[in-house]
Amino acid sequence: MNFAHLHLLLNHFPIIGTLVGLGLFLISLVGENEDLRRASLIIFAAMALLSIPTFFSGTGAQGAIKKLPGVSEVLIERHQGAAMLAMVFMEITGALSVVALWKPQGTPRPARWNWSLSAVLLFSMLTTGLMARVGTTGGDIRHPEIAGGQEEVTEGSAVSTFVHRFEPSPGRVAELMTASKWWWAFMMDLHFIGLALLIGTVGILDLRMLGFAKQIPIAPLHRLVPWAMAGFAINLVTGVLAFTGMDQYYTYNWAFWLKMLAIMLLGLNIAAFYLTGAFKSVEGLGPGEDAPLLAKIIAASSLFLWFAVITLGRYIQSYSDTISVHK
Amino acid sequence: MAPPLFLQTIEDTGFSTWLRESESPFAFYFILLFHTFGLALLVGANLVVDLRLLGVARAIPLAPLKKLFRIMWIGFAMNAATGVLLVFAYPTKSLTNWDFYMKLTIIGFAVWVMQRLQSRVFEDSSLTEAEMMARGAALAKWSLVLWLGAITAGRLLAYTYKYLTYPS
Repeated sequence: MNFAHLHLLLNHFPIIGTLVGLGLFLISLVGENEDLRRASLIIFAAMALLSIPTFFSGTGAQGAIKKLPGVSEVLIERHQGAAMLAMVFMEITGALSVVALWKPQGTPRPARWNWSLSAVLLFSMLTTGLMARVGTTGGDIRHPEIAGGQEEVTEGSAVSTFVHRFEPSPGRVAELMTASKWWWAFMMDLHFIGLALLIGTVGILDLRMLGFAKQIPIAPLHRLVPWAMAGFAINLVTGVLAFTGMDQYYTYNWAFWLKMLAIMLLGLNIAAFYLTGAFKSVEGLGPGEDAPLLAKIIAASSLFLWFAVITLGRYIQSYSDTISVHK
Repeated sequence: MAPPLFLQTIEDTGFSTWLRESESPFAFYFILLFHTFGLALLVGANLVVDLRLLGVARAIPLAPLKKLFRIMWIGFAMNAATGVLLVFAYPTKSLTNWDFYMKLTIIGFAVWVMQRLQSRVFEDSSLTEAEMMARGAALAKWSLVLWLGAITAGRLLAYTYKYLTYPS
């Protein structure tokens, strides 16, 4: 297996998943089906998470095929630019979906319609369109049967010419990220502040479920989760910017990929918490009350995985060049 | 002007050399890892207490948050111990950098604020929640600023040093 395999394995999810999510979301609006709406929002959030390693695996895929005959650097660059723009919109859609899934306190059911749902509608449609372009430009790189054997960027439709104006040039972004060591230092500083915010808020909730500081009821502690999401957002932005600045350095690094794996497992852990009834079982726990076993297991794996993320992140520096496939 | 000679003496000891040069994953990066774990415990727990005192998630009862101070002190102890080891690995790098002294100063103030929060706000059981918040608000603001400053000064250590090891 090399990075081309990994990229192909991952890259169909965000493209098709977003489309499926949008379809379900539209049906849920027409049919006023709340469960379906929730399902589509969960799909958007999951696709936003999966887009992260998909995007990162592109650099390695490029390394695996760029020396093959008939592979054009120009086409790859166009695909990268399209992917960067789609990634931005995908993450915004995911963040808005999480906001829409968040139930305001005191309202047992989410409001029938609010600004966050309008925003999800707008951004998920834009993301679906941009993802289609990522798929098309990506397919052009390696599928001469659909691209008609082109090696240069041909004149596209008016829409693709318009969209292309907003697509960043990958080389230019990389230059901007690494031009000043102070800018880099600032991004890393924010990455550590995000870490503290994330671990502090999630950690206290996990510890409470495991039996620490039992006098604290769980529902109010759960109000800290948006702060954890803010910490994650800071680290997602600074992490993706750092990757685009030094993509070769991160791509051929085992610690980096294991860190991504741990983050994906955390996504599953969060899904297990909210979708299996574990959250419902602890939501109402008052002072001194013990969490059931399932919630404790999920809390323990959350703590373990977050500390694994810190560990793997710390070891990136000493694991550079530990992957040598098709470099 | 050359840095003081004792820095070279420390650097030449077997332990300092091992910490710095060993390929073992349990040398330098292991210490750095625990320094980061300590940061997560110390600053993470502080942020939660500070945010609550400043009015975030008001439904969380304040008194039981007293237990978080145990986590903070464990984090602080971890970072004091691993910090000494990190200086032992790179004495010239750290002790000839103005930012290193800045970091220690900021941490000194931050720990003082943390201790004040603990003794004046959380260990005075006669206080109501409103009184705890009134008494803790200013300290909480200082705590936020100082801990974020400590992280920043710590991160900058990687970018501001004059010598990595003793100049030959």
